[in-house]
Amino acid sequence: MMTSAIASARILAVEDDPLLASHLQSHLAGCGFDVTLSHDGSEGLQLAESEDFDLILMDILLPGTNGLEALQRLRRQRSVPVLLMSALGDEQNRIAGFSQGADDYLPKPFSLGELSVRVEAILRRVAYERRDPQPSTEGNGLLFDEGRSDVAFRDQWVGLTPSEYRVLELLWRHRDEALSKPFLYQQALRRAYAQHDRSLDMHVSHIRRKLQAAGYEATRVDTVWGKGYVLVQAGA
Amino acid sequence: MNLPGRHSLLWRLAGVLALFCLLLVSLYVDVGRMLVEATSYLSESTRQTLKGYAQEAETSWRERGRSGVDAFLQGLHEREQVWAVVVDGHKTSLSSQPLPAEEVERLDFVRRLDFPVGRPGSTPTYSIPFNDSDARLLMELPQRLSPRRYNEFWELLLQRIFPAFLAIALALLLYRLLIAPLAILRRQAAALSAGDLSARLGPQVTRRKDELGELARTFDHMAERLDHTVAFQRQLLRNLSHELRTPLARLRVAGDSEQDIEALRQRLAREVEEMEKLVGDALELVWLDTERPSLPMEEVDIVRLWDVLRENAGFETGWPVERMPCELPADCRVLGNLNGLAQALENILRNAIRHSPEGGVVRLAGRREGGQWLLWIEDQGTGVAESELENIFRPFTRLSTARPGGDGFGLGLAIARSMIATQGGRLWAENAWPGLRLKLHLQSV
Repeated sequence: MMTSAIASARILAVEDDPLLASHLQSHLAGCGFDVTLSHDGSEGLQLAESEDFDLILMDILLPGTNGLEALQRLRRQRSVPVLLMSALGDEQNRIAGFSQGADDYLPKPFSLGELSVRVEAILRRVAYERRDPQPSTEGNGLLFDEGRSDVAFRDQWVGLTPSEYRVLELLWRHRDEALSKPFLYQQALRRAYAQHDRSLDMHVSHIRRKLQAAGYEATRVDTVWGKGYVLVQAGA
Repeated sequence: MNLPGRHSLLWRLAGVLALFCLLLVSLYVDVGRMLVEATSYLSESTRQTLKGYAQEAETSWRERGRSGVDAFLQGLHEREQVWAVVVDGHKTSLSSQPLPAEEVERLDFVRRLDFPVGRPGSTPTYSIPFNDSDARLLMELPQRLSPRRYNEFWELLLQRIFPAFLAIALALLLYRLLIAPLAILRRQAAALSAGDLSARLGPQVTRRKDELGELARTFDHMAERLDHTVAFQRQLLRNLSHELRTPLARLRVAGDSEQDIEALRQRLAREVEEMEKLVGDALELVWLDTERPSLPMEEVDIVRLWDVLRENAGFETGWPVERMPCELPADCRVLGNLNGLAQALENILRNAIRHSPEGGVVRLAGRREGGQWLLWIEDQGTGVAESELENIFRPFTRLSTARPGGDGFGLGLAIARSMIATQGGRLWAENAWPGLRLKLHLQSV
C-alpha cells in the first residue's frame, strides 16, 4: 500500500526523551524511512531550516526552545509538513490552539502503530497534492462532478456537501482499500484527526443516507473497525 | 457618569456628610443666637445687687447730702472700678462734682434694669431709680456682673471643641459603616489564604445591599468556587491514585509470575490502555470543571449521531444495532458541539449497555418542548436507588453490587453531565421501572 516515494521519505524527529526518541527512530527506520534524530529544539530547528525533509515530527515542550515558536519560525521559511507530539492533553480546544500551523497533532501517549498511520496519512496527502486534478469520472452508475462537488445517480443529484463529496470521491478512488481516519481527515477534511472527533463519522452517515435515499445500491461505505472506512461492492 | 443604584454607599455617605454640615451650621447660627438671647438680660441677683447700690446711694444722699454721695461714689468706684454718677430728675449731678459735658450726653443712653444688655462687647450703662424721688444712680455694668461674662468660654466650646467632637463621632460612624465590614473581609481573606477554605463572610455582611455587600457576596462566591474546586480536585486525585493502583498491581503480579511473553505483552497492552483512558478521562473532567470551556456550537442531527454511536458501540460490545433503537422524529436537530455531544451520548450509551441484562434493549426517544428537545435514553437494567440518582454523576462513584458490570471507573457520566452543561443543556437520571432513564434537555435549532 505504501508507495516507494513515501517509503523513502526523509523524516526529522525532534524529541527530548532519549528512550522514546530511540524507539521512534528504530520504528520509523524499520518502516523504510530515512530518519534524522535531534534531542534539542533549537538544534532541530537549524536542521529543519538547512536540510530538506519530507516531514518533521516535533514535541511541543522541548528544552531549548518552545516547540510552537520553533514551528512558527520554521513556517515562515519552509512549507514542510509538521506533526506535533505532546503530552498536553487531547481536549479538542487545546489541539485547535496548539496545532495552528501544524499538519497533525498526536497526543502522548500514543502507540507506534498510530504514529505510522499518521505519518503515512500526511505523506500520502502531500503526494496527492503534487498530482494533477482529476476530471469528472463516472463509474458504477455514479457521475462525479468535481466543480459542483456532488454526484449524480440516474440524472438525479444526490445533494452532497463539499466535505461529503471529497470523502466519497476519495473512497471511490480507492475502492476496496480501507482508508485510515487520519488519512481521510488530512485529505478530505484538511485537518488533523483527534480521538473524540466525530465529524468524519457524521459525514459518512450522511453519505450513506443520501445514497440510500437516491436509490443507489451498487456499492456501499463500510466501517473498518479500529481503522477507518472502505467503499465496497454491494453483496461483496 | 452612571449614577449608582439606590442602595449605594454614595447616598449614605452623602447623607452623613450633609447631616454633619447642617449640624455645624446650626451650631454656629442657631445655638449662637440662642446663647446671645439667653444672656441678654440681667439675672435677678444682679438686679438685686444694682438695686442695693441704688439703695445705698439714696441712703447716703438723704443722710449726708452731697458729701454722702461723694463718699458713696468713691466707695463704689473702689469696689467695682466702673463709671457711676448719681443725678436728679433734671440730670444734674448730686455729687460735689458737676458732670462734664461729654458725660451729660451719656445720660441719654442708659437702660432700665429690665432692658437687654445690648450688643455683645459693648458696656451698657444702667439707670437705677431711687425709691422716693426721681433721682437715680447711673452706673456701668461691672464686668463681673455681666450675664455675658462666660460667653467666651461658651463660644470656644460651641465653635471649636464641640465641632471637633462631632467630627470624631462622624468618623466613628463612618468607620462602623465602612471599615468594620472590611475588617471582617480582611480576617476571612487571611483565613482563606492560610488554608481554611470554609472561611465565609456570613450574612452579617453579605445581606447588605450596598457595594460592600456586593463585595462580600463576590468574596463568598469566590471562596465557594475555590472550596469546591479544591475539594473536587483532591477527591479526584485521591480516587485517581487509588484507581491507578489496580492496573499497576495487576502488572506487577503479571511481571513477577507470568512466564509466557506473548500473554505478558497482551496484559501490558490491556493495562496501559486502561490507565491511558483513566488519565485521559480525569484530565478531561478537570478541564471541563475548571476551565468551563465554551465549545463552538453547531447544528447536530441527533438521529445520525445515534447511528454513528450505536455502530461503534455495536463493534465494541457485539450488540446488534437493533438492540439500540432510535424512536426520535427525523427532524430532531439540536444546537450543540458535535464532538462534546457525541462523547456525552456515547458515555451514556456505554453505561446503559454495561448495566443491561442479557438480551436487553437501550432505547433513545424524545420530544420537542418549546425551544428545547427533551431526550431520554433508557436501559432495562435494575435501575438505582432513588437516593443514589444524583450520585451516579459524581466521579468514581461505584454503586452497590446490585447493578452488574463494575468495570467502569465512574467518570463517564460525570463527563457527560459537564459536557452537556457546557453546551447549555442539563442531564439527570430517573428510574424507569425497570431500568434507568437518563434524560437530557438540549437547545433546539
